[in-house]
Parts: sequence; structure tokens; C-alpha cells
Amino acid sequence: MFMKYDENNRQHRMIRSAIITILSLATFLVLWWVVTALMNDRNFPTPDKVFVALWNLLLYGDPIGGHSVWDYIAVSLTTFIKGFGLALIFALPLGLLLGYVKILREFTAPWIEIVRPIAPIAWAPIFVLSFGSQLGPALVVFIGIFFPLLTNIIFGVQRIDKNWLDASKTLGATQGQLFTKVVLPATVPYILNGIKVGLGVGWMCIVAAEIYNKFGGIGQYLVDMVNGGLMSNAFAAIIIIAVLGLMTTGVAEYVSKVVSRRMGMDA
Amino acid sequence: MSKEEQVIEGEKYDSDDRVRADHTDLLYADIPEGEPLLKIENLNVTYRTDEKVTVAVNNISFEVNKGELVSIVGPSGCGKSTVLRCISGLLQPTSGTIMIGDKVCTVPGSDRGMVFQDFALFPWRTVRKNIEFGLEIAGVPKEERRERSERYLKAMGLLEFADSRIHELSGGMKQRVGIARAMIMHPAVILMDEPFGALDAQTRNILQESLVKVLNKSSRTIIFVTHSVDEALFLSDRIIVLSKRPATIHKIFTVPGDRPRDRACPELTALRGEILAYLQSQNTMFD
Repeated sequence: MFMKYDENNRQHRMIRSAIITILSLATFLVLWWVVTALMNDRNFPTPDKVFVALWNLLLYGDPIGGHSVWDYIAVSLTTFIKGFGLALIFALPLGLLLGYVKILREFTAPWIEIVRPIAPIAWAPIFVLSFGSQLGPALVVFIGIFFPLLTNIIFGVQRIDKNWLDASKTLGATQGQLFTKVVLPATVPYILNGIKVGLGVGWMCIVAAEIYNKFGGIGQYLVDMVNGGLMSNAFAAIIIIAVLGLMTTGVAEYVSKVVSRRMGMDA
Repeated sequence: MSKEEQVIEGEKYDSDDRVRADHTDLLYADIPEGEPLLKIENLNVTYRTDEKVTVAVNNISFEVNKGELVSIVGPSGCGKSTVLRCISGLLQPTSGTIMIGDKVCTVPGSDRGMVFQDFALFPWRTVRKNIEFGLEIAGVPKEERRERSERYLKAMGLLEFADSRIHELSGGMKQRVGIARAMIMHPAVILMDEPFGALDAQTRNILQESLVKVLNKSSRTIIFVTHSVDEALFLSDRIIVLSKRPATIHKIFTVPGDRPRDRACPELTALRGEILAYLQSQNTMFD
């Protein structure tokens, strides 16, 4: 009745992975339902309640303030993009420089090692207090994305094939040309990988970033719902954050794949 | 402006101030073919580690004439490549001078092109863009780059791969790109560091023959490091044979006959026997 699975057939591979994903998600829902039903704790709603809440949220908006959920998403996305943009602007030149100049790397290594392990959530009240509720949350996301991005770029520069630099020197490249024509393109796959990792961490920070946010993003909505005891709505917010995260990392994954292939450097 | 200053200062275009450093061979146009172009004097390289001092290259001096292909052979690990890297400027010798014409070379520059054993091509560039790399850096205008790279693509049999990426090429094709990338700059001297060492025997022979073909069309000064005596005999005007570490010059042989040579020619066989016997005597593996 079934066709024989053919590993070399693109269509077969796609159907196979689709079936596995669907079964995986279905199993997840069943497990969720069984565990929450057995717990019978109103803090952990069963999936059916959460999806009803999500449906209502998407259709009618927030049950307390009456705001549209899209407003929340827009605020969160803006915060996220600001944080991401800032991280990129700072981590890119700094990472290339620290990767390339050994003495600077050695000098700044202690700073990075001291600041990096501090959880972004710890920065949230400080940033919101001193930079306001516009820039503050974006800075929390920035901190989350900055370090994985920076360390990936530094690592990438150090991994550059020394022969590329030697070849360029014998072709007459100046220090500046080495940097723009070799170091920068050779590091692109690592920059993209850093972006992928950073995007994941960035979404982890969004709730922490928005706890103190007066303008409300999806993270603040989540906190409000928990405070109001509307746990199904809180879980609906979690699902929205997860989907946003999946979408951005999906885009990053795709871009990184295409660029790496076009540059002949897929790892 | 003297010719020497042109390399350092660069030659300026009429309308903009971009600097170009290709065609450094023109700077030595007044040196006739067969006259000394490159002089290496008392080259010494010593490595210091915490425990000991290793002498890698011990007082090597030789000259390379314009238009000549000189091979350097020697027992494995004797420091052949070290000598070449010193000439390229990628490695600073402990003492000694390297001169092209009457200019002392200390840092890498486009007057000494280099071909690497593992190709050292840029994977993010196409074949054509790899070949044009040096010209691009020298500020040569796009149309001229195009026109010149087209000629090298043709000469190296790479025309149909012009827009391919490096990872799509075979090893032999990759080294054709490497050679074209060095030659297109018209450097005063081309340094080849075991360029065919990573290739299989058949590809090696084919590439040796195409190198001979290119050299017969356009005379170049080349120093060629190899561990293959046969390769050295097939390609070189002279062969410098180095001793085991610390490397000194054992003897410099002149190879008879013009290129292309017959690999089985009896004069070469006699020379091959002599060089191989010496290398065997210098083999440290069974000491």
C-alpha cells in the first residue's frame, strides 16, 4: 500500500520530515494534556483552554485592557529589532577587531568574562530606570544578543585560514585591504551563525525586558495575565512568543544557508 | 621618479589617486634576460624555543637570473619552504639579505608572487574574481581586469569555469587558478611552494606541461620548491640541492636542454641518479 521510502528523492525526504514534525507536535500536545489533566492545577491549564484563550486573544484582543494583540506584538517586535540592530552595530566591528588584534582580545577578555554571565533579566530594572521604558527594554534584548554574536565573530576571525592572509599579502594587499577583502568575507558564515544563536537568546530576553515596560509588549501582557490569574491567557502569550521566535530564527536560518552556499562556504 | 620609487609609491592614474602595483617586472626591464635579478646573501634562519635553538637555514647564498626557473630540492623537512617564505617576506630571516635588482626586500609585496601547495584560493570568490584579486587590490580598472583575466583563463584552460566557485573545481583546476592569480600580476619573481605536491601523478604531469607551455610563450623568473627530483629536472634551468637540516647548499646543477624536455632523455637520467643518491645520503629517517 505504501510507496517504498527513497532517501535520494527530495519529495520523499520532505514528506518524511513533515510527518515526523506533525507526529512530534501531536505527541507534545497529548503529553501536555495528560500531564496538566493529572495535575489538575489551575496554574497549568490544559491545551484546549489555552487554545481557546489564544483564539479569543487573536480575534477580540486582550480581555482586561481590550487592546488588540497585534499592538502587543508590534511593540515587542520593535523592542526586539532595536535590540538586535544595536547588537549588530556594536558586535560586528568590535568582534572583527578583537578577533584580528590579539593584544586587544587579551586585554578585553576579562571584561567579557565578567559581564557575559550576568543574566539579562538582572539588567532589566537598571536599564529601564536609567534609559527609560523606550530604550531600556531594547537594551536588555541587546545584552542577550550581543555576547553570543560577539564571541562567534571573534571565533570566526581566529579561524581564518592563514594561507588566505599570506596569499593576499603576496598579491600586494595592505592591512586595510586584508581586513575588507579577506577578514570580513571569511567571517560571514560565523557572523550569520552568531545571529542565529543571538536571535534565540534575544527572544528569551523579551519577557524580562518588558516586565517593567509601561507601553506593554507581549512580555508585559504575559506578566499582567499571570498577576491577574488568567493562566490560559498567559500560556497563549507564551505560544505567541514561541512562534515569533521560530519565525525570526527560521528567516535567519534560511538567509545563512543561502549566503553560505552562495559564498561557497557552507560548513 | 625613479623606477624603484614606483613600487613603493605606486604609479598614479591621471584622474584619481589610486595606486597600482601590478607589472612590477617592468621595473627591472633594464636587466637583460639571463642576468642576475634576485640575489640571496647569507640567509640564516634560527628558531628559538624555551629549551633550544634550532638552526633551520645555515648561510645560504645564491642568485637567480632573469627569465630563469630555479628549483630548490632537498631532503624532507630540510627548510626548502623556509627559504621561499623568507624570499616572499612572509617570514623574517634571522640574518641575510634578499634583493631584487638593487632593492632590498623585507616585507611581502606584489613584486614577489606566490603559489601555495594548498592553493590558498578564496572560496567566496569565483574563479575569475580569484584571478583578478591582485589587480583589484592594485586599483586596476574593471575593464582592464576583465580583459587580462580573460587571457589567463584561456591560457590555463579555465574559460568554462570562469564563474564557478572554488569548491566546484578539481585539485588540478584549483592550482591552475593559483598559478594564474600569481602570473597575472606580472611580478618580478614568482615563488612556487611545492605547487603540485597535493595533486595526483597524472594531474601533476599535465600541470607541469602546461606550465612549460605558458613559460615558452611568456618568459618569467621562477623559484620552484619541490621534493620531486623528476619534476625539478623536467622544469628547471638550474637545480639547487640543499643538505639536511640545518640547510646549506650542497650543489647547484645546471639542467641541459631547452623546455619542453623529454622526461626519459639519458642526460637527465644521469643527473637524476646523482641527485637522488645525494638525497638518500642525507635522509635522516634511519639515522
